[in-house]
Amino acid sequence: KLGIVDLHPSIWQTSPRLDILYENIEWQKTYKKIDWAYTPPHHEYPSMRGKPWPQKGTGRARHKSKFDPQWKGGYKVHGPKGPTSFFYVLPKEKRVEGLCTALTVKLHQNDVHFVDSLDLPTHQPTYLQELAEDRFWGPSVLFVDDTDIMPHNIMFASAKTEGFTLMPVYGLNVYSILKHTTLVLTIRALNKIEKKLLHALHSCDNPKDQPAPPDEP
Amino acid sequence: MPIERGLQYLRQMQRVTLKNLPMPLEKTLKWQKAHPDETKIKAIMSRKGPISRNALPPYGIDPIQAEGRLPWILTVPKEPYYEGIEEARQYLPISLRTLQRLIDLRRINPEKPIDLPVLCNTKLFSIQPDQRQFGLQLIDEGADLFSTPINLEIQWVASELAIAAIERCGGVLTTRYFDPISLSALIDAKKFFERGEPIPRCDTPPINAVEYYTDPKQRGYLANPDSIREERQRLAQKYGYKLPDPSKFSSLFRLKKDPRQIFYGLEPGWLVNLKDQTILKPTDSKFQTFYHS
Repeated sequence: KLGIVDLHPSIWQTSPRLDILYENIEWQKTYKKIDWAYTPPHHEYPSMRGKPWPQKGTGRARHKSKFDPQWKGGYKVHGPKGPTSFFYVLPKEKRVEGLCTALTVKLHQNDVHFVDSLDLPTHQPTYLQELAEDRFWGPSVLFVDDTDIMPHNIMFASAKTEGFTLMPVYGLNVYSILKHTTLVLTIRALNKIEKKLLHALHSCDNPKDQPAPPDEP
Repeated sequence: MPIERGLQYLRQMQRVTLKNLPMPLEKTLKWQKAHPDETKIKAIMSRKGPISRNALPPYGIDPIQAEGRLPWILTVPKEPYYEGIEEARQYLPISLRTLQRLIDLRRINPEKPIDLPVLCNTKLFSIQPDQRQFGLQLIDEGADLFSTPINLEIQWVASELAIAAIERCGGVLTTRYFDPISLSALIDAKKFFERGEPIPRCDTPPINAVEYYTDPKQRGYLANPDSIREERQRLAQKYGYKLPDPSKFSSLFRLKKDPRQIFYGLEPGWLVNLKDQTILKPTDSKFQTFYHS
């Protein structure tokens, strides 16, 4: 244990709104969804002319064409038409609150751990696994660092183990936070996250007037 | 605190995962059965009859069962508790405490006159002219804390304490009426200028407000300036403070608006062009007499 970390209450002690978490996860699942189902309508079927058999005489029911909806292999009147997209964008306030509630949930259920940096002495995956077991980190761990480029050793070790994922700060999302049982943050990642979230929580400009959010740490 | 209790539950309960989150009420079958869509109702109900033909009689009137009795809608007496609510004016409250706090945090400049657009730019108030909101009103919470001289223009004041608190520090208060069209220009000035309309001229207040805005005790903008000076002396004697010298402050501090003017420095009738950074003024005498009347 190296020391004590100060956390901002607007991010790490908000009300645990599980319905906002649900909305965020729904959004993440459905905004990429495209439904490719297509049933050709009446005018895209082969020729509709011709009664299959005469009106009277045969003992069968009376029909006008072979492709009516009641027939097997017939057209569908109000079926799905072409690719439909389920794209929508959740309002920014909800997305920001979703991240804040996900972090509070993890903190108050003892699933967040703060780390100096992600440097390891060896690239053997067993070293990382035993370390995680000794510290009671759950079966799946999410390592969050400042930049995309991670040190070699942790890259090789987490590639071989199931459940360990590496992520830069810009990839943080509610689905990943809740999917992995533990969250491991570096101090540099913490500072960057807090700065960005506080800027988003307290700025009241329109998106057009807003200046670019602070990217550099 | 309700947040503390929620977090207490969180600590004791199971880990929150993707499968543990509660489904919102509107997606459960029970709610959907109780709140069917209009299209579903139409598909289920019969195609004939008074319901489908929009020919139902009004509530409570059944000619067969009435037999000479009044329907219940006419037997219950009328008790108009909220009569006149459609014409009532609303003013959002701003306290002296928030004003002092904004000045201390340097979100408002006390050396320039404080106006409605200045207070709306802090984005702490959302005034909706559609909902019969006519501006801001001053509240006397924090009268002891207030200690900066300001030139304030507000739409309504209900208590003498607030007026006294501002004038004790050497400030100036005026109450001013804005009609809904000029309000929508003042709330979001940048949006209004991007629309490309000439600045409107402010209407006179309605009949039940004229008494208020011509009253020197409320520092109305239509009142006599001599009687306002008298009232300032009277208030100082009543609450026991000395009126500071008015000659110390800059000319910016003592700016006042014409009864038809909305923005400081801009007259009604002018067109502001933000893209080319120009102002267009009308030259025809017709327009000038209209806007300056």
